Amino acid sequence: MIANAISLMIIVPLIGALVSFFAGSKAKFVALLASLIPLVLSLQMYMEFDKTSKIMQFVESYNWVPTLGVKYTVGVDGIGFPLLFLSTIVTVLVIIYSWGETKKPNQYFALLLLNEVGVLGVFTALDFFLFYIFWEIVLIPMFFLIGSWGGPRKDYAAIKFFIYTHVASLVMLLAIFALYFTYQLPDGSRTFDMLTLLQATSDKTIFPTSLLNIIFAGLLLGFLVKMPAFPFHTWLPDAHVEAPTAGSVVLAALLLKMGGYGLFRVIMPMLPNVDKAFVTIIAIIAVLSIVYGAFMALAQKDIKKLVAYSSVSHMGFVTLGAVAFTWMSIQGAMFQQFSHGIITCVLFMSAGTIQHVVGTRVIADLGGLADRMPKFAVLMMAGFMASLGLPGMSGFVAEFMVLTGSYPTLPTYTIIVVFLSVATTAAYHLWAMQKAMFGPILKKYMNVHDPHSYELFSMAMIIVLTLIFGIQPGLITDMMGTAATQLMEPVVTLTQMGVI
Amino acid sequence: MDFSHYAPLWGEALLTALAVLVVLLGSLMKDSGKLMGYLSAAGIVAALAIVANTLTIAKPAIFFFDTVSVDALSQFFKAVFLIVSLLVVIASLSKYTGKGADVYYALLLFATVGMMVVASSVDLVTLFVGFELASLSTYALAAFDKSKKNLEAAMKYFIFGSVSSAFMLFGFSLLYGMTGSTKLADIAAASLGNFGPATLVALLFVIAGFAFKMALVPFHMWAPDTYEGAPALVSAMLAAGSKKMGFAAAFRVLLIGLIALRMEWYLAFAILAAVTMTLGNLAACWQDNVRRILAYSSIAQAGYIAIGFVVVGAAYGAAPVTAFNGLAVPAAQLGIAGALLLILGHALMKTGAFIGTAQVASMVSASSEKDPDDISNYAGLAQRAPITAFCMLIFMFALAGIPPTAGYIGKFVLFSSAIYSGLLWLAVIAILNSALSLVYYLRIISYMYLKEPAGPKVSEPKGYVVALVLTLIAVVWIGVFPQSFVDWALQAAAVLLPQ
Repeated sequence: MIANAISLMIIVPLIGALVSFFAGSKAKFVALLASLIPLVLSLQMYMEFDKTSKIMQFVESYNWVPTLGVKYTVGVDGIGFPLLFLSTIVTVLVIIYSWGETKKPNQYFALLLLNEVGVLGVFTALDFFLFYIFWEIVLIPMFFLIGSWGGPRKDYAAIKFFIYTHVASLVMLLAIFALYFTYQLPDGSRTFDMLTLLQATSDKTIFPTSLLNIIFAGLLLGFLVKMPAFPFHTWLPDAHVEAPTAGSVVLAALLLKMGGYGLFRVIMPMLPNVDKAFVTIIAIIAVLSIVYGAFMALAQKDIKKLVAYSSVSHMGFVTLGAVAFTWMSIQGAMFQQFSHGIITCVLFMSAGTIQHVVGTRVIADLGGLADRMPKFAVLMMAGFMASLGLPGMSGFVAEFMVLTGSYPTLPTYTIIVVFLSVATTAAYHLWAMQKAMFGPILKKYMNVHDPHSYELFSMAMIIVLTLIFGIQPGLITDMMGTAATQLMEPVVTLTQMGVI
Repeated sequence: MDFSHYAPLWGEALLTALAVLVVLLGSLMKDSGKLMGYLSAAGIVAALAIVANTLTIAKPAIFFFDTVSVDALSQFFKAVFLIVSLLVVIASLSKYTGKGADVYYALLLFATVGMMVVASSVDLVTLFVGFELASLSTYALAAFDKSKKNLEAAMKYFIFGSVSSAFMLFGFSLLYGMTGSTKLADIAAASLGNFGPATLVALLFVIAGFAFKMALVPFHMWAPDTYEGAPALVSAMLAAGSKKMGFAAAFRVLLIGLIALRMEWYLAFAILAAVTMTLGNLAACWQDNVRRILAYSSIAQAGYIAIGFVVVGAAYGAAPVTAFNGLAVPAAQLGIAGALLLILGHALMKTGAFIGTAQVASMVSASSEKDPDDISNYAGLAQRAPITAFCMLIFMFALAGIPPTAGYIGKFVLFSSAIYSGLLWLAVIAILNSALSLVYYLRIISYMYLKEPAGPKVSEPKGYVVALVLTLIAVVWIGVFPQSFVDWALQAAAVLLPQ
């Protein structure tokens, strides 16, 4: 194995971003290469990943600001690795999907790579200082993707996205400060080490419940806004509707996962030690997100907005599974992150393709497109089926695991979800599909045709992945299972693991 | 006589001599503007080298009958002032080359010397002399282009400045009357408590005097008008240099001389800080003139920096209960260090941002009726002047505190020290303000990057580009490798606290 694999995965896209910025029209080749290298590395890591090990793997740790106790520490376990893997896959496919971008392509591809740098950093950072930096860096490429390549209300959407999520991040930062200043290492020094701090939160003498509740609430807000969960989701539809397709894909597939990742990495180890009321609050937020998201999706006229609300709904399953705190629900929630990450790509790509082929995304104005775009229709149909939870595809496995796993601890909430959302979810997917793609073709669409092959290729690759992980979920859930087991036990620090 | 004893002060001496020389040569030689600029830049670099030599001087060196102290704190501020003035001089090389430029550079040098004197003085009279030297030079600089706007700006600045100097001097005279000394150490040793309300009056005048320079609300009125009206490069000097001089003076006088009154000034600064950052940020959201936006943002930043005083007041004398990397660091020291880091960061970011506005204003044709600093001139700057736009972009993000930049590190240390000393409410206000400030920073960014260009691509003057890129490198460098800067600031902060 190449040494410093994770750092290499972060640095390569960063250099790639710089090079493609100056590469002019050649930017896409640079971007593809710079995103393929992390993909290869992550595949290599997958091969070498010890799925049964509970400790952090591929750890690198260097002093950065020793005076403040800041280290550059990165590493992955069953929580982080699937998302790292997801990020590398999605970035490559998004770059392929955007092959035909003609507006300022150098900046466009540079931003996509910069975004990859940020998300990879978030999923691997094990030091709160580093984590926060990557967390914030992600905002910048997305701001420009929305602002420069977006729709008519792009300025508003970009600024709203930036400020809304930045405020939440700042609240999270305050909570991080509180952790940092409350805990001292045995030798009296301070640390930003995530695992050490999280382990310390279980010590009631250092973190009395009253203090921990406040810290917990701050961190939770930071993550819930990013996910986004009802009622903090209002930035999402605006951002999605105005963002260019690649921006939407990356936003839904990767940026939302940062919030979910925060739940598993930071929130869950603290959950057993805080006020039990939090479980109820989070469960209610989860159920509301699922149900509200589904009903809102049903009411949308714009197909992209529909997909955006479906994200709110699907990410609610992650929250529900996490808070239910059973082995199966946690594993299901993690798998839902991964699965939604790939499925949502195809949904947003479909919406984007419809937009540029037909010129509108309003469902009522579409009709019969399958007639002229048969290949596209098959792929889109497959994506929608995966999203509504058709057995055999990854979405079904994930949601099934979440619901089954959540029933023992949160029966009422689970039943509400089953009753109110399952049918609704199927309804909005099928209705949109039926209205947009099937039925008699409208006269004005007689001249439309299948999109470019690179767009179809990206979509097809994702469908293949959904099938692979739907039929053989163990490929990725094995390590999630180990992580779930670990999450139900106290946190083990890097020093205790013996990795540093 | 052996002058080597005065080695740590050669920087000041060199710049003073150079300033006189620049005026002399300028009057003898024709068209020497550019040469004078290069000469000044070289002199500042030399002074910077001298300061760098004693950057982390362990034991303060005291000169001139205990009135001037060369210590880690003074060297920190001197480094900031010299860097700012170097950047301004470099940028000025693209603008001030013609007749009268020699005076411009001489005034800049005098102002720098004045600020350096303030940074080092541990005596009220010396401090006042330095203060006035810097102020008088900048009054003249503010009117340097002699446009109507210039004159108005300079006039306002002058009147407000004189009033504030008068306040300050009156406060000093009260202190002298009560303690019989102008030396800060003596004032600290005298028991001010015996003088009843008179001490409060003195404190009030001193704080008011400094607050004018620091542009804390409600003493900020002059700042937006002056920063808007003065030549852009002079505004850079005012916001980044002269304003920091106010902080340098306030640190010394309050934290050493008037530390006995900390419960009183602690409260004053808590209110000033909270009100200043909130009003500064709110006001900035409504401006259309970029220089006014920057002025209000600079007011807001002064509010953040003032948190340093509050932290010291709240945590002074508390035992160092923490240790970073094995070092015992009391909360007060962390607070001052945070304020210093933000001062350093802000000085760089603001210099850069004002140089950027100078570049944009130079792109607007002189005949145009439009305000050269109006935000509409920034539309599509990314395509018209890509280097300027990119640098401005980073400065805006840095000012908003987005990592990894100098602005982030300063805020990070400062706000964390507030939490550390139990000032959660202030930290929350500061952080919310930080988010609020994004509204106007993002507005400028969206004009530069997301709007259609307001005109054709232009060539960017070399001086501006060099100054901008240097600033950019410094801002990012501090953000990515903060270690040595944090240590430096902590060392400088230690000077103000009892050992």
